[in-house]
Amino acid sequence: MAVFYLVAFLSIFFSLLVIFSKNPVHSVIYLIITFFTFTIHYVLLNAQFLAIVNFIVYMGAIMVLFLYVLMLLDLNVNSEPVKSSLMKIAGIVAGMCLLVTLAGALKGSGFLPAGAHEEVVQRPNLGLVKNLGQVLFHDFLLPFEVSSLLLLSAMVGAVLLAKREPREI
Amino acid sequence: MNALITISVLAVLVLYLGLYKANKALLPVTLLGLAVALFFTINHWNVFTGPTFNDMMSYDNFAVAFSGITITSTMLILLLSKGYFEKISDHVAEYYSIILFSLAGILVMVSYHNMTMLFIGIEIMSVSLYILAGIRKQDFASNEAALKYFLMGAFSTGFLLFGVALIYGAAHSFDLEAIKMHLETNLQTGQAISPLFYTGVVLMAVGMAFKVGAAPFHFWTPDVYEGSPSLITAFMSTVVKTAGFAAFLRLFATCFYPLHDFWMPVILVITIITLFAGNITALYQNNFKRMLAWSSISHAGYMLFAIVSLGSEASYGVFVYAIAYSAASIIAFAGLVLMQANTGSDSFDSFNGLGRKNPFLAFTLTVAMLSLAGIPLTAGFIGKFIMFSNALSSMHTWLVVLAVINAVISIFYYFRVIVAMYFKDAERAELEIPLNFKVVLAISVVATILIGIWPAFLPNVI
Repeated sequence: MAVFYLVAFLSIFFSLLVIFSKNPVHSVIYLIITFFTFTIHYVLLNAQFLAIVNFIVYMGAIMVLFLYVLMLLDLNVNSEPVKSSLMKIAGIVAGMCLLVTLAGALKGSGFLPAGAHEEVVQRPNLGLVKNLGQVLFHDFLLPFEVSSLLLLSAMVGAVLLAKREPREI
Repeated sequence: MNALITISVLAVLVLYLGLYKANKALLPVTLLGLAVALFFTINHWNVFTGPTFNDMMSYDNFAVAFSGITITSTMLILLLSKGYFEKISDHVAEYYSIILFSLAGILVMVSYHNMTMLFIGIEIMSVSLYILAGIRKQDFASNEAALKYFLMGAFSTGFLLFGVALIYGAAHSFDLEAIKMHLETNLQTGQAISPLFYTGVVLMAVGMAFKVGAAPFHFWTPDVYEGSPSLITAFMSTVVKTAGFAAFLRLFATCFYPLHDFWMPVILVITIITLFAGNITALYQNNFKRMLAWSSISHAGYMLFAIVSLGSEASYGVFVYAIAYSAASIIAFAGLVLMQANTGSDSFDSFNGLGRKNPFLAFTLTVAMLSLAGIPLTAGFIGKFIMFSNALSSMHTWLVVLAVINAVISIFYYFRVIVAMYFKDAERAELEIPLNFKVVLAISVVATILIGIWPAFLPNVI
């Protein structure tokens, strides 16, 4: 439990730093650390696959994308527009709505059908890569295979759209 | 399954043909492959034994019928594409292969038996369409269409996926049959169905309504349809719409049927808004292509009738309506493509005097407009008739009254084209109609009139 509390504290601490740091690049780096603490959470919950995906996709791919966009936008303190008080109020309202929703969701977790919690407790190895692989390559083999079409068409399309046209239209 | 494999392999084959610069062979090979896929599809007729591939797909007659329509419409649209993509860019093979990928996604969409397959099918179709909408890279309208479609589509996918997740949370399964069983046992034993399930159903309805372009989730439709190249718009408004409705109907008619009383009012409201939004806005359009976009929204409203009043005839109704609508739309878009190629304009005025110079084209366009308006002796009338009688049998009398009012409104704007062609004179040169256009127009007109006169010619789906 001690590890959990430490990691949970770190997650909250770094998420707060994401919001409060002035420099957007620092913000993104703190976000990476926050995601890393999430990865530790997943490992603690015995969800290996989620941990790996979180590590590779979120920390790796998506954060690189973020940094890249920041680099292209060339944000710095001077060019940042001043937020009007209306925006701040809107932000507070939206944040509070989210808080209410989350609180309601937690309170309403009694809605979960009986047995949903026990399933996780009874089968602690549910999130292991081995079990996931068995489901993915047996029950869900067809969707897995068919998603290759999705990736292929997206790839062909990306190349098509990005390639330079030799002549004007 | 054979059809799906054929189309996927065909798409890769077409890419290779492009690699070896065999541009002449592209269209014949694509059409031949689609014909093979169509043959495999029809071979599945009446041999359904149960869901296959771990209950992922079910190739029942419903799936066969809708695969058949979508493959045939794609063939007709591709026949029109001779020389069309060459004007846009040199990479013609990629366009064919992306259309084929999209069709593969559509085949998954019409024959899924598991929500994961539904999701993957919709995504394959949508991702391909985002690209197709933006293939005119130098054209701002096309860029706008692609970006708008992508953002809206990604948004609606979020809704759909959230709905799937919530339903999984409530029913512990992605399988359509298992979810239905869950609902039925809960309703029989009087156990409360989890609120998660209701939320999930509404979210999925919203996601599907986005995909078929039903109001109030139709805002992307006119801009995307207008900005995309006309041939791609034809593909979107016929094949994609048909597939969307097939998926919608399969989901709600088989899986969520026990909760009919809950979601029926939601779909009913969507239907009425769609009818009025589509028809009334179409009245004010001066641009033929934009008018077709709004009219496609109103036709989505008519097709939603089948989902509102699920009866024994629902699938048959959507089947007939989809054929009628696809055939008429293909004629209309063929006319539009010809008009744009020759005059560069797509306003109603550019059709002035067409009746005297190009009697055949004018005649086919007239048949298409009559069919879209739902005048008797055309397929559109039969489609509307089945939809309305279906709705009447489930006691939605005033819905039918509203729909008839809308049909009358729609006659007005469809007739503007006919009036322009025959009663307004203009100095114009005769349009040159290539042979492939003549073939497509003839096939579509024959189908429209044949179904209009002899509807029993089509097999009953259920």
